[in-house]
Amino acid sequence: MGQNLLATTTLISIMSIDTETARLIGLFQFPFMQRALLSSVVTGLLGGLLGSFAILRQLSFFSDALGHSALLGITLGLLLNISPVLVLLPFAVLFGLGMLYLLERTQLSTDALLNIIYSSSVALAVIALTFIKSYKGSLTQLLFGDILAVRETDLLLSILLLLVCAVFLGLTLRTQMLLTLHESLAKAQGIAVQTQRTWFVVLLSLVVALSIKAVGVLLVSTFIVFPASTARLLSQRFTGYILMSTGLGALNAVTGLGLSAALNLPSGPSIVITQMALFLLTIALSSLRLISSPEGI
Amino acid sequence: MESVLKVERLTVYRGNYAAVREVSFCLKPGTATAIIGPNGAGKSTLVQAILGISLRQAGKVSILGQSLGTSGHLPTRVRQNIAYLPQSFLFDRGIPMTVAELVDLGWGKPGLSLPWVGLRERHQAVIQALAQVNGSHLMHQSIGSLSGGETKRVLLAYCLVRPRKLLILDEAPAGLDFQGELEFYQLLNQLKLEYGWSILQISHDLDMVSRHCDQVICLNRSLICQGSPEVALSPENLMAAYGPEFTRYHHSH
Repeated sequence: MGQNLLATTTLISIMSIDTETARLIGLFQFPFMQRALLSSVVTGLLGGLLGSFAILRQLSFFSDALGHSALLGITLGLLLNISPVLVLLPFAVLFGLGMLYLLERTQLSTDALLNIIYSSSVALAVIALTFIKSYKGSLTQLLFGDILAVRETDLLLSILLLLVCAVFLGLTLRTQMLLTLHESLAKAQGIAVQTQRTWFVVLLSLVVALSIKAVGVLLVSTFIVFPASTARLLSQRFTGYILMSTGLGALNAVTGLGLSAALNLPSGPSIVITQMALFLLTIALSSLRLISSPEGI
Repeated sequence: MESVLKVERLTVYRGNYAAVREVSFCLKPGTATAIIGPNGAGKSTLVQAILGISLRQAGKVSILGQSLGTSGHLPTRVRQNIAYLPQSFLFDRGIPMTVAELVDLGWGKPGLSLPWVGLRERHQAVIQALAQVNGSHLMHQSIGSLSGGETKRVLLAYCLVRPRKLLILDEAPAGLDFQGELEFYQLLNQLKLEYGWSILQISHDLDMVSRHCDQVICLNRSLICQGSPEVALSPENLMAAYGPEFTRYHHSH
């Protein structure tokens, strides 16, 4: 009798797993879900690739501040009644370059300056939002994003940006490596440090701006920071590190999206939780010396 | 014989004061020149201005017959003939980079190229350069795990990874132990005599300078004197560069 009950329970749970799998498979038949899946892969690849250089160039907080400040760009778009994407991309680039310009000239510490910039922008944006009567969207969507709302135009722009970033960083890899390692050595080799730095900030700003739709202004920098921080624990070689960071970016995003679909959780935070879980797992494994860690964290 | 490096009335300002004022000298091929002077004399500023790392306010610099642009521009083929070892090599010790990758970067500015182009040729050069500095065993180590002396050796390999005409060193042997320093000077001598490299180095070690250098430039913001070690290191010139206290100290032992 007891055995029968156990068998029945097992059967039911197998059936429910099957039903759950079927539901998930069914879900990914929808075009919006396929777009979300592709978008998560592209956003993950972009964040991982740019992030691998950004965290070593002390640009993690820069990405975070830029992400937060993007709220002002979105609000400007809404105020001017122009599509937020059209405003956000140029806004992010100009804002990124503006921050770079100020950082190079300020006597303040980097984090203090970035804090001043982003908190002012967020405050301005929130005040401006209260004046927009026609605004139907929720602040939550702006703050945390919605990968399911990604449209084809956004996706195409992200794919194009991924190609541009891969070609640019691939063709200037050794220049980028030297620049990341030591500025004087790079200058002594005749590398135009300022120009290279500017181009990198332009690309980073575009990546942040395009990823906002998927994960929102609050969590966007995690796409830059997490995969690279995890990869740094896993690779001692620079080239291996970049490839690993890029791959982990995509892997985290897809896993997070799957988690969000399976448990019916918000997509952006689910991706961040996946990134965090993998990061913590890597730390645990490297501290147990199950994988070799270059220098710890 | 044409000069490898020619500096004419070079002036560099740091804020409101002239850190280097109207300095002129030249370097012949296959010679070793030392720049000496007290702290704050503008030695590092001078070499950085020669390399275009710091910008100059007046004067001319030409390397291998090519003028250095006012914004620090030099043709790539000239850049590839110069190697520079900075005084302080501070870097993020958590950077994931192996010794082999660092030495490979010394190959020079590749412009736009696919990362795997010339990989085999560069790899051979990396192996040879590391062998020259007795650093073959470090090849696969992470650069963050190197000691001060090992870092210096690896950076020297970075300079040696391709043939050069001019090697510029800013207090290079600092951090090396006695044996390491000895090997370092032997290697410089070999590069100079066998391969005809010109070496310009900033140094505080006057004994080394008198033994290994052909020319000494004595600097204290402006040029105090230049010439052979016997001339430039005379008590009168040292007093002019470092002040009377130094000369008394230097000749008392």
